Order: sequence, then structure tokens, then C-alpha cells
Amino acid sequence: MSAGISRIGRRLLLMVFLSLAGGLLGATLVRYAPGYGMDERELDPRLSETTREAIRSGHQLHSGLLSYYGAWLARAAHGDLGRSEWLDRPIAGLLVERFPLTLRSVLLGVLTAWAAGVVLALASLGARAWWVDLAGTLTSGFLIALPVAVVALAAMYLRAPVFVAIAAVIFPKVFRYLRNLLVHAYEQPYVLAARARGIGHARLLLRHVLRLVGPPVAALLGVSISMAFGAAIPMEALCDSPGIGQLAWLAALNRDLPLIMNLTLVVTLLTVGANSAAELLHSEAP
Amino acid sequence: MTPRTRALLACLVLLVLAAPLGAQSGGVLRFCLHSEPKTFDPALVDDEASENVRYLTGGVLIRLDRETQALEPALAASWKVSKDGRTITFHLRKGLYFSDGTKFTSEDVAFTIRRLMDPQMHSSTGDAFRSGEGTVEVQAPAPDVAVITFPAAVAGLERLFDQVAIISAHSPKKEMAVLGPYYVSEYKPGEYVLLRRNPNYWRHDAQGRPLPYIDTVRLDIQRNREIELLRFRRGELQMINRLDAEQFSNLQKENPGAAHNAGPGLDAEEFWFNQSPAAPAPEFRKAWFRTTEFRRAVSMAINREDLCRIVFYGYAAPAFGPVSSSNKFWFNSALPAPKHNPQEALRLLAQAGFRYDGKVLKDSSGNPVEFTIVTNSGNAAREKMATMIQQDLSQIGMRVKVVTLDFPSLIERITKTFDYDSCILGLVNTDLDPGSQMTVWLSSGENHQWNPSQKTPATAWEAEIDKLMREQASSLNEKLRKAAFDRVQQIVAEQQPFIYLVNKDVLTAVSPMVEGAAPAVLNPQVFWNIETLRLKVPENGGTE
Amino acid sequence: MSAKSILRAVSCSVLFAVFAAGLFAGYLTHYSYALQFREVPNAAPSALHPLGTDSLGRDLFARLLYGTRISLLLAPAAALLATLIAGVFGGLAGLAGGWCEKVVLAAADLSMALPLLFVLLALRALMPLDVSPVISVVATFLMLGALGWPSSLRVAWAAARELRNSDFLLLARAGGSAPGRILMKHVLPHLRPVLFAQFWISIPLFILTEATLSMLGLGVMEPLPSWGNLLKGLENFSAVRANPWMLAPLVLLVVVVISFQLALPAEGELA
Repeated sequence: MSAGISRIGRRLLLMVFLSLAGGLLGATLVRYAPGYGMDERELDPRLSETTREAIRSGHQLHSGLLSYYGAWLARAAHGDLGRSEWLDRPIAGLLVERFPLTLRSVLLGVLTAWAAGVVLALASLGARAWWVDLAGTLTSGFLIALPVAVVALAAMYLRAPVFVAIAAVIFPKVFRYLRNLLVHAYEQPYVLAARARGIGHARLLLRHVLRLVGPPVAALLGVSISMAFGAAIPMEALCDSPGIGQLAWLAALNRDLPLIMNLTLVVTLLTVGANSAAELLHSEAP
Repeated sequence: MTPRTRALLACLVLLVLAAPLGAQSGGVLRFCLHSEPKTFDPALVDDEASENVRYLTGGVLIRLDRETQALEPALAASWKVSKDGRTITFHLRKGLYFSDGTKFTSEDVAFTIRRLMDPQMHSSTGDAFRSGEGTVEVQAPAPDVAVITFPAAVAGLERLFDQVAIISAHSPKKEMAVLGPYYVSEYKPGEYVLLRRNPNYWRHDAQGRPLPYIDTVRLDIQRNREIELLRFRRGELQMINRLDAEQFSNLQKENPGAAHNAGPGLDAEEFWFNQSPAAPAPEFRKAWFRTTEFRRAVSMAINREDLCRIVFYGYAAPAFGPVSSSNKFWFNSALPAPKHNPQEALRLLAQAGFRYDGKVLKDSSGNPVEFTIVTNSGNAAREKMATMIQQDLSQIGMRVKVVTLDFPSLIERITKTFDYDSCILGLVNTDLDPGSQMTVWLSSGENHQWNPSQKTPATAWEAEIDKLMREQASSLNEKLRKAAFDRVQQIVAEQQPFIYLVNKDVLTAVSPMVEGAAPAVLNPQVFWNIETLRLKVPENGGTE
Repeated sequence: MSAKSILRAVSCSVLFAVFAAGLFAGYLTHYSYALQFREVPNAAPSALHPLGTDSLGRDLFARLLYGTRISLLLAPAAALLATLIAGVFGGLAGLAGGWCEKVVLAAADLSMALPLLFVLLALRALMPLDVSPVISVVATFLMLGALGWPSSLRVAWAAARELRNSDFLLLARAGGSAPGRILMKHVLPHLRPVLFAQFWISIPLFILTEATLSMLGLGVMEPLPSWGNLLKGLENFSAVRANPWMLAPLVLLVVVVISFQLALPAEGELA
């Protein structure tokens, strides 16, 4: 038991460390990528010299990157996440506004994908008709072959909310993995023996098969959440949905250093968190 | 007739009488902002979305009528500019109130101007007034008189006040108390801005009815133009401020009544070669870009008619100078408009020592002529123009590569590192008067894009442009100013530092539900007369 | 022949046909992909232009063929690079265990969390301007490959980890073989099937990533065509409604990606 707790503890520590590293990496990328510190306003012929100077110095880092990062961390510990350069608003406010939308899209998307995936996987195993399995395979094959951008465009055109697009991207992978898992599980000797003994389908599924597939399924859940967050960025950017993904894309285009630092940290935290949870659960497997 | 029938008839009559009134007021007008408005403070407005909100909510002293391009009195009943052009005296309308009930007096004008011109404010609107060093003096000798004195004469002074929205000196709501037709009632970041009619708006129509007619305006924040067009088609939006040519031509086919072409706009697409000595390119290449014949040959080899026809579906006109034909006063109709002529281009290049062997153009040292055009990614029209120019120039033996970069990287290259050969960008002209473009034409200017911030003029013609621009800036005589700028345009046409490509038409979409729309060429094209727009009530009631 | 092997044969032949079409594009069409027929922009399919023309009047069939060349030749190169990197690092991590393993896995997690799109944006802006379009395309795919290793890494690592405790490896070590020899003679051959499966799955992934990149404006330089480039035209809904053959590149993409999956020698793949 204590070994489990210390393992979880170490995992958490790793998560925190990785997230901080992620934030720093994001900051380095923005700071040293071409175009940092440039502002579209420099092309405005009305501006006076003092205004131009003010704009330029507003974009400069007045210290080294590491000390800037350290100072920001110190403030963040007190809840002050800094101010977005491009939007000129407190970042904490921006995150609070936009995060629920992305969270909703991601969770709904994962839920829909899983619901469809579970139903279809079970159906393709249970149903006598050969075409059920084929239909499932073809649909998932087709969806997986579409570039993320095309799925986003289709969702836009059909006026479907973003989570549908995210579900369309996650569903094929979930379906295939589940189907393979279930096939393997049902082929296990003792499951076969249980069936031979005449145990009903429902009991079979819930008692025996679930125990077998539980941990890898939980692991896949974690991975699909992190995949969904990854897909959310181009999806929101293309579908004009005002969530965290769109914010991240626009912040990158505008080289908004404080905002990117925050966002990379949040996204790293979420992805690593989901992956860690998946891994911890997977290692529980017998 | 039974009493009941009579009552019914009376109701019907009333309805019929009331219908015209009901059909012409109230309602919600919906259209889009294409990005998040960054501020509601009129002094700090820099981006298009904030500017649109400022136009809809701000009251100004002098309004530029977008249709006639003439100045009309707004909050100022009359004004007078002194002989030396440094002082302007406004006589304000009496008895006006801000949207929250605060009284409007000259104190508010003084407060607004002082705040605008405060160097710490870094206002670009304020910078447009800065004609010289020194502070701006504002006096309010009477509640309805305001006197503003500038350190030096400002060319086109009156017109600049169209951008200055007056805010209250005393109201607790600060800049949210406004004098314009609408005030910001609700703002949901990332989603929409809701404007409601200002009950204290000073303008009335000819019959004395208070303006604006439309009660509520909902500005949705929508970046994606395709979605915007889709929503317009479905009736969710009633206006689209600027359509691109492809969308317009499709809309024109489906719904010709909704598509409005206001004519050539003020913006020009321009193409220039990097003539900065700081460029890291090899010397021989820099020498080509500095050769006038080279630039003129390139200009002649570009087929502008094809650009207008194919990239803009015919909704554009070839441009040969910085001022478009719709700028009635400043347009120079005497400028040469050379037709597409590759043979003539080759002849010019031969004069400058280039040799064309039928396939490749080489300079006098034998270097094949190759260079890159950069432009910003995300603008499909510019990318297409660059690709077409690539083919046009290949017909005179030049090998051109097209590179699209994101905007910050592009700006870094053209303003800081000068690591580029040539660039295609759009010149956004919100102002009719070239006086606001001093930094573009002066050789010491930061926006003198082909060779910015020169210590001394690099060429004789740039020195002449400097002289002419200073002349027009210090003169108050409109005729003299026009003559000077006409000459500047002439020199630019001879030397081609900017190769102008096209003037795009101003294309807007207006739903038949909207009455009174008259899209104009000046910003904001489709809703400049929003106060007199009306919405037809649809038969099934409710315009939500 | 079982249904599965029929499917596999069919998909292999489809891939071969498309590949050949891309390679011999010059013989299948006599138009260049860049030549603009300015008299007939947005034309419907005709005898002269089997798939019609795009908005600048360029023959779509030619662009599709040359675009196939770029996508189908370069995506495998990117996949190869990614798989090699994943194989080496994943293998090392799995075998060595301990510190090394933790560091490599953490690095993989980190790079998966970073915004790939922004890294590509930055790398692209860093490239010198006057490289030829071909070089820039190759560079784009190599960058994709160099950044695409994390997903394959875990698979390689898992496979190598199994090996770590396996009998034959213990025997080899007990026998006194040098670590390098162990790696070359014992480990790599064992990892090869896993790596090959990863390589094969990655190819369509890279094709799709390039398509998304191009649609976001970060892809191949004009006038070079690529599938992503051609898909960009789909953003204009009204144009697609008017000219539905613009969906041809999408259909081809979907067919090719599905064929890649069906042609996979191993049975089933994990998420």
C-alpha cells in the first residue's frame, strides 16, 4: 500500500516537473523563434517615434529568459498569471473564460467516441450478422483516414459542435482497440470455459471479461483524453470555437510569450496527467 | 354591422396604420467583427474590431460623410480653423447628454483631447495630429466653445476629428458613457458585443424622430469568413462588411439582391524590392533591385488585367499609383498606366545590361536573375497573385520563388533584418489624405518600406520626394498640396519603388431585410449610416 | 484465399498503382503542374483537363499526379526517420532501464505535449528564403519525421523492455558478448518486426499531418502541389458545392490511407 502511495507521489512529482519544463520549453520556443517582439502596428504610418519605441519596449523581455520564467512562477504561485501582451487582459481571466468550453468539447467528444466505440465493439462481437463488424471497420477506417483539418471543415459545414469533430477523430482508435481487446479476452481459456459452463452473456461480460480488459481500457481512456486535447487545438482554430485551443494557436501566431507559457504549462499538465493516470492503471494489470 | 365586427374592423385599420411604423423601428441587427476588440477606450483604438465599436458608439465633433466624402457638423454645430492652421475653434451643440445622463460640455472635449495627446497614452489616433514638437493647448472658454491649439499647422486638420470620440470628463462610467448612436450593453469575450440604442443620441431624422431606428445591434466575433457567409445565407446575419471576391461572385450568382459592389476601394496591393543596404543578399542582386529599369521592366511584365480577372473575379481594377480612383480629390488621373508588355520589358532590361537568351535572363556579369517574393500566409488572394506574378516573370526569364510566412516573421524580415528580396503586401488606406503617410514617403521614415530610416536620401528622386512631402505638409492651400503630391505620384510612377498591382473593389453583402443600406468605399463600408438603417419585420414576427 | 488476404492483395495493388502513377506522372500527363491556363480558371472536367482546373487555371489532374509524387515519396522518408529515432532511443531506454529509461520517456511525454504546429511554424520561419521549393518540401517532411518520433517510441520501448528480462539475452550477456554486439545481433533483429509495423502505420499518419499542415498554411511552397495543398481548396464551401470534383484529392487520400492500413502484414494495431 505504501509502495503504491509512494509511486503515486513520485508520479505527481514527475508531472509537476515535466509541466514546468514544458512551460519553459514553450517560452524558449516563442522567445527565440523568428518574429518575436514584432508588432503589426509597426506598419501603421500614423505612429510617432515615441509610440513606436513604447510598442517595441513593451514586447521586449527586460531580463534573461530564465529569470523571467522564475519571476513568473513566483507570481503564479500567488495566483497572478500575468497579462496577455496581445489581448492586454489578465491571463487568469482568459483561462477561466475559455477553459470550460474546451473541457466540455473534449469530455463530450471522448464520451461520444467511447459510447459509440463500446456499443459498436460489443455489437460487432455479439451480432450474428457479418456486416456489423464490416460496417464498424469501414467507418472507423474511413474516419481515421481523414486529416484532422478535413474533419474540422466537415463539422463546420454541417454546423456540428466541435465535440462531434473530436469524437470523430477519437472514435476509430477506440473502436479498434476495444474490439481487439474484446476478441482477445473472449478467446481466453477460462472465459471459453465459463461460456461452455453456460454462464449468461451479461454475467460473463461484467464478471470475467471486464476484469481482464479493465486496466488496458482505463489506460486507453487516459490516452484518448490526451489525444483529444491535442486534437482540440487545430479543431478549435479551424472551427472558430473560442476555447483554449484557439487561444493557443492565436497566441503562437502573435508571439504572446506570457500566454504561451501559461498554456504550454496547462496543456503539458493535462497531457502528462492523463498519460500518467493511464500508466498507473495499466501497471495494476495482473 | 355588429359591434364586434366594428371592433374587429377598427383593430384591422389600426394594425394597417401601425404596420408601417412597426416595420420600421426596433429589431436586432446582426453582423460580425472579425477579431476580438482589444479595447473600448477610444483613445487606444488600433485594431479594426475596436475601431468598428468606436464608430458605432462614439460621438465625434466633425463627421466625414462616407458617401459624399465631405465633412459635416456632428457634435460641433460649427467650427473655424485659424489662418495659420494651428488653432481650431468649435462651437458645440447645446443641451446634449451622454448615454448615462451626464451633461455634455466643452470640458469633455478638453478632457478628451488632453488625454488623447498625452505622450504617455501612445495613442495612434493622437499621433496623427502630431505635426511638430510641443504640447497641444486646449481651452474651454464657454460651456459650448472649445479652442484647440497645435504646436504646428496640421494638414487636413478637420478631417482627423472624425476619429476622435469624445468621452466624459465626469461620468462614473468613464469611456462607457458615450455620445454615439449606440452604447455597449453587454460584452461576452470571444462571442459577441451587444449594443443598445443610446436614448440620449442627439440626431433626429427629418421628421424629428429620434435616431437610430434599430434598437439593438449584435456584433458576433467570427474569424472564419466562410462560416460568416454560411450564417448570412441562413439568415442569421444581416450584413457582411467585406467579402472576398470569390465569396462575392458566388453570392452574386445565388442572391444578386444581397450582393453590393461599392466600387474600387482605397486599399492597394503593392509589390516592392528590397533596396536597403543592410540586406544580406549578394551585391549583384542588390544592384538589380536598385536599377530603375529593372523595376520598371518587372512592372511592365506583370499582367494586371489577369490578376484582376482571375484572383479577384473581375472585382478589382489595375492600380498604378498609391491613390485609388475613388479618392476623388487626391487621385492623379494623369499618371501613366502601362499595359502588360513583356517585349518592352525585355527592351528596358537590355538597356540596363541584362541579356535574355530565350529562356533565362542574365545580368551583365552572367548571373541568372533569380529572387524570392515573400508574402503573408493566410491571405489566399496574395498567394495567388504571387503565383501568377511568378509565371508572368518567368516569361521574361526571371526565376521567382514564392515564400509565405506568418505575419510576425514577415514583419521581422521587412523591418528589422532586411533579409528578403521582394515583398507583396497590402497598403491599408483608411485615410483619404496622404498627409498621414509621411513616414511612408519621407526617406527618413520608418515605413519607407523599400529602404526605411535613411540618414540622408539615398537617391536624387527620394530627396525630391522628401522636399515635396514637406511642402504639402506645411501648406494649407489645398491646390498647392495636391500639386505637390501629384508630382510625388509622378516620380513614384517613373521610379517604381512600389509596384502597384490592383485596387480591390469594396464588396459587401446586405440582406433584403435591411432598408436604407448604401455601402460606401470608406471605412466602415456597410454600416457607416447605421443610424438611418431599418429592419423589415418578417411575417412570422420576432427578429431574434 | 481468406477475405483478409484478398483485402491485403487489393490494397497492395492499389498502393502500387498510385505510387507508380506518382512516379511516372510525366508520362501520364503532358501538362506541368505549374502552368496556368488563364483562360479557363475553375473549369469543369473536359477532354483537355480530365479533372478540370483550379482557381488559377492549372490542370488539376497534373497537380494531383505530381502531388502524389510528393506525398507518397516523402511521407515514407519522414516515417523512416521517425521510426529510426524511436527505435534507437526506445530500444536503449527499454534495454538500459533505470535512469536512461525515465529520461527518454519523460522527453517523449514532453514533446508530445508541446504544440507541434508552433514548432513547425517556427522552424519554417527559420529556413532561409532562397531554398528551392523541392528542398523546402524535403525539409518540411524531415522536420515532421524528426518531431514525430514520440508516438512510435513507446512501442519500441515496450518491446525492448520485454527483451530485457528475456532468457536469450541473459544467456548472451552471460556468454560475455559485448553490449554493442548484443544490440546488433540480438536486440535489433527482435525489434525489427515491431519497428516495421510502426514504420508502416506512420506513413499514412505523416501524409495526414502534412495535409493538415498545408491546410493551416504551413505546408509546401507554391507552385508545388501536394495533397494537403489541393485539399486547401475545400475550405471554400461554395466552390466545392459548385464543383464537386474538387473532392478528388480527398478521395484519393482516404483510399490510400485505408489501403496502407489494410495492407499491414501484422494483424490489428494498438492505439
